[in-house]
Amino acid sequence: MFYNLVTYIMKETKLGDFEETILLLVGILDKEAYAFKIAEEFEAQTDRAVSIGAVHSTLNRLGDKGFLTSEMGASTAERGGRRKRIYTITASGQRALQESRDFKISLWDQFPSLAGGNLNFNI
Amino acid sequence: MKSELAEEVLGDLDEKFYKVLEEKGHRGARKIYWLQVMKYFRPFAIKKTRLRLPKIATMQRHYLKISWRNLLRDKAFSSIKIGGFAVGIAACILISLYINHELSYDKHYQDQESIYRIANNYQSEEYSEMWTNLEGPFKPVLEGNIPEIDLVARVVLWRWGKVGENHIRPSNTLNNIYEGGFFYSDPELFEILEVPMVYGSQKEALNAPNSIAISKSKADKYFPNENPVGKQLILNDDTERAYTIGGVFEDFVSTSHLQGDFIMTLKDRKSGPGTSGWCCTNYNFYVKLTPNASKTAIEQKLTNVRDTYIMDKYREIGKNGLDDLQKHQSYYLQPVQDIYLNKQNIGDNMTHGSHDLVWIFGGVALTILLLACLNFINLSTAKSIKRAKEVGLRKVVGSQRSGLIVQHLTESSFYSLLSVVLGTLIAWGLMPLFNKISAEALVIPWTSWWFAPTLLSGALLIGFLSGIYPAFYLSKFNPIEVLKGKASSGASTSFFRNSMVVFQFTVTVILIIAAIVTQKQFQHFMNKSLGFEKEQVVNILGLNSLKENEREVFKEELERITAIQSTSLGDYLPVEGGRNTNFGFELVEKKGLEEGFEAARWMVDENYLETMGMELVSGRNFTDQSLDETSIIINESMAHQFGLDDPIDTQVVDMFDGTYRIIGVVKDFYFESLTSTVRPLAMVRGKGRETISIKLNSSNIEQTLAAVNSIWEGFKPNQPIRYSFMNQRFQRMYEDLIKAKTLLIIFSILSVTIACLGLFALSAYSVEQRIKEVSVRKVLGASAQMIFKLLAGDFIKLILISIAVAIPVGWLLMDELLGDMTNRISLSWTVFALASLMALVIAIITVSFESIKAALINPATRLRSE
Repeated sequence: MFYNLVTYIMKETKLGDFEETILLLVGILDKEAYAFKIAEEFEAQTDRAVSIGAVHSTLNRLGDKGFLTSEMGASTAERGGRRKRIYTITASGQRALQESRDFKISLWDQFPSLAGGNLNFNI
Repeated sequence: MKSELAEEVLGDLDEKFYKVLEEKGHRGARKIYWLQVMKYFRPFAIKKTRLRLPKIATMQRHYLKISWRNLLRDKAFSSIKIGGFAVGIAACILISLYINHELSYDKHYQDQESIYRIANNYQSEEYSEMWTNLEGPFKPVLEGNIPEIDLVARVVLWRWGKVGENHIRPSNTLNNIYEGGFFYSDPELFEILEVPMVYGSQKEALNAPNSIAISKSKADKYFPNENPVGKQLILNDDTERAYTIGGVFEDFVSTSHLQGDFIMTLKDRKSGPGTSGWCCTNYNFYVKLTPNASKTAIEQKLTNVRDTYIMDKYREIGKNGLDDLQKHQSYYLQPVQDIYLNKQNIGDNMTHGSHDLVWIFGGVALTILLLACLNFINLSTAKSIKRAKEVGLRKVVGSQRSGLIVQHLTESSFYSLLSVVLGTLIAWGLMPLFNKISAEALVIPWTSWWFAPTLLSGALLIGFLSGIYPAFYLSKFNPIEVLKGKASSGASTSFFRNSMVVFQFTVTVILIIAAIVTQKQFQHFMNKSLGFEKEQVVNILGLNSLKENEREVFKEELERITAIQSTSLGDYLPVEGGRNTNFGFELVEKKGLEEGFEAARWMVDENYLETMGMELVSGRNFTDQSLDETSIIINESMAHQFGLDDPIDTQVVDMFDGTYRIIGVVKDFYFESLTSTVRPLAMVRGKGRETISIKLNSSNIEQTLAAVNSIWEGFKPNQPIRYSFMNQRFQRMYEDLIKAKTLLIIFSILSVTIACLGLFALSAYSVEQRIKEVSVRKVLGASAQMIFKLLAGDFIKLILISIAVAIPVGWLLMDELLGDMTNRISLSWTVFALASLMALVIAIITVSFESIKAALINPATRLRSE
């Protein structure tokens, strides 16, 4: 019951900050985009610790929102012969990333101190 | 874990594991692996489980589903319903466990039916009493004359010799350690009470002279991992009379009336306990009968033995009043399982469970459960209008009345099951608090085989009982009328509901009255002028390990401390833990003509009266000179008993023919419980061996005690000082009352809570029913005050009726409870006024929430919809 409630609320198409990062990492890793690798890459890129579970749950959520698709890939020996789930960005995922980026750029464009050239944050 | 995720997740986790393994080694990798696993506990990854109950018929499943939906539909109402019920059940569980514990004492013996304690039973027209103390030589008489008595053991439990508290050490160590739980017994006790032995045998453990048996826990403390039999224990540094350990027994089970850790033998003693003759009744007797022996036949035989044999002994020692004794006295064999609660009120020297408390709390538990059930019924019927359409529709589509009844019974059982689960959890949470208050060590018996079935059947029974009325009531609706919207709660149901509210509040007010009365009674005891000073007096204990002259020197050194006003060396104290001895007394000129009477006989020194702040009414105190060796000071009550107006210089004689001259009369002071009158008391000159009392005249108690301690350490570096404050020991005499008081306060709060929850829901419901009426009235110009009066007035009327019923009932109950106890408070009208006012204010506040909300609404919002 609560689970349904939660997924219902989550069925929106906004992109959170963490979600955006994960989505980008999926794009960067391309054929190697599965939960463990993404978690590793996240730690390497941001210097922040993250659990595989957290990444997996976010991937799952992004899938629900239609930004990602996934399929089971090849197995390797280092995983005890188990297959991995490889994620790929969908068109709507691409669009969401694009929108997010455009939105931020347009915000930066309006940022007065940058536009005026004198960077002074010690107001 | 969802099965479709298993493969990828396990793969990821493996990969992580091997990566970390390279970096941090095996332990780190394992730790991180498990951490990662923990972090997978997220909603998306967990398998959805569905409750499947294939065995239950479809309709039943449907009923459960409807119950669940109803519960969710009106969450506030449901939580009041279930919460109130759960609180009542929690209270009931706690009290039931307490009662169960109190009733479980001494039921663990194999020969349960043949273990008894002998009691005297004196019954005459004017006077009746039962008590356990008997003369020591009774033992061989029983053994020699009554073959049905298999074993006889005497025990000494009153403070005689080394009974009670001592400072002990094994003979090969030096430091004295304080221990309680000492008493004397004959060797047969272990066999009679079937005490299992760890070392030594039941027969031999106490058989040698000067032997002592210790409990397993104490053996582990003093002789860890060894067999202590044959080792020596020294009591109070008395190296000349060391005790030899003859056996180690398993600790008495917690449900045994007899408790103790050190049992000293009575066998072959030279003096003191074990040696007193036909003069004095010093012993409790336990007996074990042969199988199939008849209790009544033995009681008769006991009387016969007394008449043929013991009477002569009494005559030899010149005992008076033998004719009366023969006529009125008999013997009673008390079954061992009756000793703890002691409902016959047999006088002994033991602590007992309170028989009254068991009854009172049993009553309170049932009442609270009843309140909770009524609440449940009340709330169920109050909601009936909302359910009326549902019932109507069900009938239209073909539901039988029986089906509807089953539906509502299912629903109430479902609710009650939820409440029982919640209530058990509440009881579990409150257990430590309850144990603290009741001074018990109860646990919830989760694992007992009877616990879960009892709760379950209790839940179903309560669900059934509280569901039966709403079920019949709701299923009665006429579908045509309710579907037309004409359903109204008729006069009969509102009468029913109103009377339930009246009942609930009546009980609540009575409980509040009870709580106030016990509180007042307790205050009355604590503030009662006792005839002695208890606030500034400290007792220093454990002096019996000093030598006699050392005690004198210690006393003198204490007197040099300026903050100490006076000191007195005396073991007889008017508070818990003091010694007490009783002697027969009579006037010299009436000796042999009349039967004397029994009076407490205390040995005190010349500073005693001053230290304790006791007052002389006439005559003088003892002086330090030897001329007072045959002087005696009596209390007013004793002077009265002698029938003397001016007792000074009168000669009295005690049961051992000691003759004394009365030199003073002390004002009556309470030296036993305040619930009885002051008994006669005689004081003779003598010194204590264990206790020195000091009266402080400074408020800086800590500093003074530090000074006392440094003196003590000069005398006894191997034994830490032990002291107690007299006012605390005084309070300890009223522990039962404190318990009763605290629990009554808690339960009256509970009952108020339950009653208010119900009242709140009812008022909310009635406001909801009348909201249109209220709106119309407002439109027509009624003020908020008038609306409030209209809505709250009905309920307040009910509360007033409850108060009118509760006051006389409460008065009668309390009067009965206090009985003709000495020093009881009189029931003044203020108690009842206070209780009524409290109930009324609480009720008004409860009702106000919804009423005021209704009175302040904008009528347009409510009328707009039509």
